[in-house]
Amino acid sequence: MKLRFKVSLITAAALFIGSAVSGAAVIYQSAYYNRAKTVESYEQQTKAAAHIVGKELEYELMAHFTDATLASYYDYVLQKYAPSHYILVEGGEVVCNRTSYELADPTDIRWSERSVIQKSEDRYLLLVGRAVPVAGAKEYTLILIQDITAVYEDIYRQSLFCAGICAGAELLAALLAFAAVRRSLSPLRELQRAAQDISGGRLERRADVRTRDEIGMLAVSFNEMAERIEEQVEALSQESERRRQMLGSLTHELKTPMTSIMGYADSLLHVNLREEQKERALRHIHEECGRISRLGSKLMNLLGMYDNDSICMEEVPVAELLNSVARAEEAHLQGKGMTLRCCCEMGTRRMDRDLFESLLINLIDNGIKASPAGGVIALTAAGEQITVQDWGCGIPAQEISKVTEAFYMVDKARSRREGGSGLGLALSEKIAQLHGAELKIESMVGEGTTVRIVFYKTFTD
Amino acid sequence: MKILVIEDDTVISELICMNLEAAGYEPLPLFDGVSAAQGITEGTFDDAALALVDVMLPGKDGFALMEDLQAAQIPVIYLTARDDVLSKVHGLKSGAEDYIVKPFEILELLVRMEKVLKRTGRGRERICVRDVVIDLKEHSVTKAGVRVNLKPMEYELLVTLAQGRNVAFSREELLNRLWGTDYVGETRTVDVHIGQLRKKLDFHDVIRTISKTGYRLEDMG
Repeated sequence: MKLRFKVSLITAAALFIGSAVSGAAVIYQSAYYNRAKTVESYEQQTKAAAHIVGKELEYELMAHFTDATLASYYDYVLQKYAPSHYILVEGGEVVCNRTSYELADPTDIRWSERSVIQKSEDRYLLLVGRAVPVAGAKEYTLILIQDITAVYEDIYRQSLFCAGICAGAELLAALLAFAAVRRSLSPLRELQRAAQDISGGRLERRADVRTRDEIGMLAVSFNEMAERIEEQVEALSQESERRRQMLGSLTHELKTPMTSIMGYADSLLHVNLREEQKERALRHIHEECGRISRLGSKLMNLLGMYDNDSICMEEVPVAELLNSVARAEEAHLQGKGMTLRCCCEMGTRRMDRDLFESLLINLIDNGIKASPAGGVIALTAAGEQITVQDWGCGIPAQEISKVTEAFYMVDKARSRREGGSGLGLALSEKIAQLHGAELKIESMVGEGTTVRIVFYKTFTD
Repeated sequence: MKILVIEDDTVISELICMNLEAAGYEPLPLFDGVSAAQGITEGTFDDAALALVDVMLPGKDGFALMEDLQAAQIPVIYLTARDDVLSKVHGLKSGAEDYIVKPFEILELLVRMEKVLKRTGRGRERICVRDVVIDLKEHSVTKAGVRVNLKPMEYELLVTLAQGRNVAFSREELLNRLWGTDYVGETRTVDVHIGQLRKKLDFHDVIRTISKTGYRLEDMG
């Protein structure tokens, strides 16, 4: 069953129970009151009649009356002073009856003070008795028998009327409740449609609900959730696109050493080579295999960094970091007769020490490769940036934006000679990103290259 | 015969040169587009019969070199790692004679080169193996100036082996190449013809049997 029917039904049922109980109570109360009023008025009437009859009976005269005369006299008095339906009882005997009823037991003294309502067949009879105050020996009781069915019929009619009003009001209230519930639940339909659209692939769809109730809040949360999902799906597809491109570059990059290895192996198998050529072929195969193996491990690094669990951030004194980098590069620098100028004006910084060290080593290695023998590399840490500067061959302007792409090499032949794989700067950029920093490369051909690692101030890991 | 090898990867360049040399060509290695273009326009390589060009070159890429090479009337075979259809179409449309995707087999490279040379009329007219001279125009073979009578298939076999000298051919390759793929014969046929060639030309130590592979005509001269 739909929610709006359920809620309307429950509301209507509650309304029905409430109005039925209160209506019944009101009717019961008014019926009780009406009956009591009626009984009281007849009691007053009987009392008055008894009083007058008591006054009017002339006892001296009555002593001389015969029975027949006495009966006529009683009849005369009752008719004159108590014109309604009365029975006069004297000493347990009915002496005069002006009603169409018979008393079952005239000796019953119940009538003296109390009133009784009797139901005979489908008529309601009120019996009211009063002792007649007489100044003589005789004890008279005046009994009123009144048909009060009309009072009960009134009560019945009132109940019917009241029930009718209740039912009408109930129906109206139920309709109103249904309309109100339907109106306040209608945003749910919009939410449902939005959810269907989103699961159908329209990720940019948002629920258009502007109410401020719980449903409105639900819609706000729903839209936030949809926003999150859209962002994440977007990020995922970008990520997979990046990986796809990288895999493409990798396959391409593998082709070069593969061509060499297959070619030399093919030559060794099928071609009549001189001894020194054979040796060179073998050496090339060996070197190219080494290149593939290095490429593999670098690639593992690059891929490993997409999963952030292996990264351990800690506060590292930058001066210490620069010193260990300088020590690591000592041999490499001496090989080309170069010097490293270190300058540190930075305190501590949160970083993964190993990763950051390999980033700096990578940049310095690049600087060494680009520099002539005997040159200088400057490593400076100050403010919000760490800078690696060389005065080597520089990078052509049109190549700068591409150098951080995986497998990109400006001068393939030379960089292979130096043992490069084209992954260094892609790795470096990745490491910088993990530390909330950006690589900024400035270079002029023939003048040298400056790589800045600029930290964003807002970064928190 | 001079062949231009324009390839920036020194290892692959050496590989190609090594094999071209073994097959009797004279390779001229060049390592970047700019110096290649300079040499070509200056006419340094006018005597080159063919150019093997890598597409991705520093300075000036292989497609950009096409104009200079065409101007110098040097036919071009592209050697590239790019095996997508678009690059192939682009390469061939721009006027290249052939397009070889890396990694390639040496024999395939040599055969394709031979075909391009023949098609462009630069094929060798004479092949010399020791004292044997094969005249490709007259379809005649002389040993120390004396004419040797060879059956047509024996002649074809000799030419194939001599053109790919120092490179081993398998029996199946020779069978497919000379008798055609429809030929229902045994590889024994090849052995028989090889035996005839060895006997008629006294090539017992020149045409060598390479175990598990096939035959190779060896001549390092």
